[in-house]
Amino acid sequence: MKIDLANPAWRQTLPPARTIGADAPVAACAFSRDGTTVAFALGDGSVRRLPADIAAAPADAVPPIHGGAVLALVADPAGDGFVSGGDDGRLLRIATDGTATELFNQKGRWIDHLAAHRATGAIAASVGKAAVVVTKDGEVREFGPHQSTVADLDFSKDGSRIGCAHYGGVTVWSIGQVTQGKAAPPPRRFAWRGSHVALRWSTDGKFIATGTQENDIHVWRMAQATDMRMQGYPAKVRSLSWTADARFLYTSSQPVFTAWPFSGKGPEGKPPLQFGEEGAGLLSVVAAHPTAEFVAGGYDSGELQLGDIKAKRSVVLKMADGSALTCLAWSPDGFKLAVGNERGDLLVIDLRR
Amino acid sequence: MAQVQVPVTVLTGYLGAGKTTLLNRILSEQHGKKYAVIVNEFGELGIDNDLVVNADEEVFEMNNGCICCTVRGDLIRIIEGLMKRKDKFDGILVETTGLADPGPVAQTFFTDDDVKARTRLDAIVTVVDAKHFLGQLEQGSEAEEQVAFADVILLNKTDLVSADELAKVEGKITAINPYARIHKTQKSQIDLAAILDKGAFDLKRILEFEPDFLTHGHDHNHEEEVKSLSITSDRPVDPERFQKWMGALLQLRGGDIFRSKGILAIDGAPKRYVYQGVHMMMDSDWGVPWKAGEKRSSKLVFIGRNLDGDNLKRGFEDCLKQ
Repeated sequence: MKIDLANPAWRQTLPPARTIGADAPVAACAFSRDGTTVAFALGDGSVRRLPADIAAAPADAVPPIHGGAVLALVADPAGDGFVSGGDDGRLLRIATDGTATELFNQKGRWIDHLAAHRATGAIAASVGKAAVVVTKDGEVREFGPHQSTVADLDFSKDGSRIGCAHYGGVTVWSIGQVTQGKAAPPPRRFAWRGSHVALRWSTDGKFIATGTQENDIHVWRMAQATDMRMQGYPAKVRSLSWTADARFLYTSSQPVFTAWPFSGKGPEGKPPLQFGEEGAGLLSVVAAHPTAEFVAGGYDSGELQLGDIKAKRSVVLKMADGSALTCLAWSPDGFKLAVGNERGDLLVIDLRR
Repeated sequence: MAQVQVPVTVLTGYLGAGKTTLLNRILSEQHGKKYAVIVNEFGELGIDNDLVVNADEEVFEMNNGCICCTVRGDLIRIIEGLMKRKDKFDGILVETTGLADPGPVAQTFFTDDDVKARTRLDAIVTVVDAKHFLGQLEQGSEAEEQVAFADVILLNKTDLVSADELAKVEGKITAINPYARIHKTQKSQIDLAAILDKGAFDLKRILEFEPDFLTHGHDHNHEEEVKSLSITSDRPVDPERFQKWMGALLQLRGGDIFRSKGILAIDGAPKRYVYQGVHMMMDSDWGVPWKAGEKRSSKLVFIGRNLDGDNLKRGFEDCLKQ
């Protein structure tokens, strides 16, 4: 089996896909760890789960499990279900049978950003000015308060640390068990003026990239604590995605795929690699393929584009027009793509040929 | 994709002026509308409701070299989050703490593209405590600034003062900001239509909102530190010189200029040029065309601190065609 990203027929018709109208904005989507289920976080408080196999009978709509909207969703790193956060201040673990159990609850706060670490089974959540880590055993550890609300967070490659984006920069905490009688190691701070709104730790652990309120990208080298700034975006960069081999950082908010090269000496003094067809709008979400040199990009104008950075080829998939794409997720095997938009269309696309 | 922009009303006022009473009424009354209310961390709203969102008043400096360019970072996040809900809102109300400067809240709606795409700043509503306002003016600049920023003022608790006292308070408010609509209220009783969906920041409605905008002069030469000032002229404006002057003025004095708006008769242009701003932020557009034979006059209004009227007048006169 393989994926042919330049299949020209896809310009006219979507590859085999399941499309379901959910009638509520989609905030996030994810495939379960075992790849059998895909879930969508919806603005009506429900998490809609569908079989990843697009030929299987779809599951029915389910009642809300959060009050208000579901704001964040990740695959459960400690099981084959999911973990969701909502504007009701609850962090829920959703089992494979759909039952939800509460991991954490802070009334009056929103849980709007989540990160999961597969090897350790830990989950990190933004809770106001603090970050909360729930370990595999259910132990809750709190980090903060930061000087402002945590706008995004991510685990380091080995899962020993979390990086939190906020106003004024990034704070990195060690999340390991504190030995009795010893003080927890102080956090490391990486300062840069302004508000940082998105954060992704590179897949090799060497860099932390943020998107800022001022339409820039900021990247810190962890080892030397040196940093760099990439400017020239027409909008805030909310979506950042490192390739599996950490050679490229894909960024949203451009009309074509834009990847900064991080192999060798890094991106300093080099232009980013840009390829693909110009969308009607800007990329609102980008997702690097989990194994190969592919990338998926969703536009605020509703188009979906798949790209191959090696061949510099791409194909724009025909989509129902208009509604901004809000989330993309690759299946663990990289053959399927989940897509959600503002209008509430849930798609699972099967790209096997 | 064209989106409906949700109107946002900013509610300010000194502690105890009656903001909470007003918000409680908006949330509990049967008006058939759905309003989200963003309350501040010191709020005492007794209503537990998923339409009420707690905010932290996180004021962020924009990293663009302009020190008075501050925005409410929490507000950007909250508005984005509210837009992820299935249920849409007829309006959003943002309560500020009694001591907060309404500037950063207003500037958020000029600065952030995502917020601008989904919402529009509708009006700044200030609740004034008729009994304590004069005393509050002595205590600091907040009460005065809140009045200066306002499009609509609820002069509340009028039952607690005599007619003379009320007239004195009203005179003081008018001296600071003669452009705001004043509604006298008791227990914040007000027809919501008087405070919501006013379009005070809508460039197309600058005239509608202030029907006497071009007919009455409001020059005040009081001793107030915060005051309003208007400049008029019948001579056409040179657009390049005006841009240059206004740009430099806001760059230099934007921190002291709370609100500004104007209608300009640009030399040779068939339409009115309208603008309005908060501190350094400004929006402008072409407005209604001048009618044939209509007298073309320009008017500028500033509300701010330490305004130098003579200097502003000279500056504007330099922008006029000889």
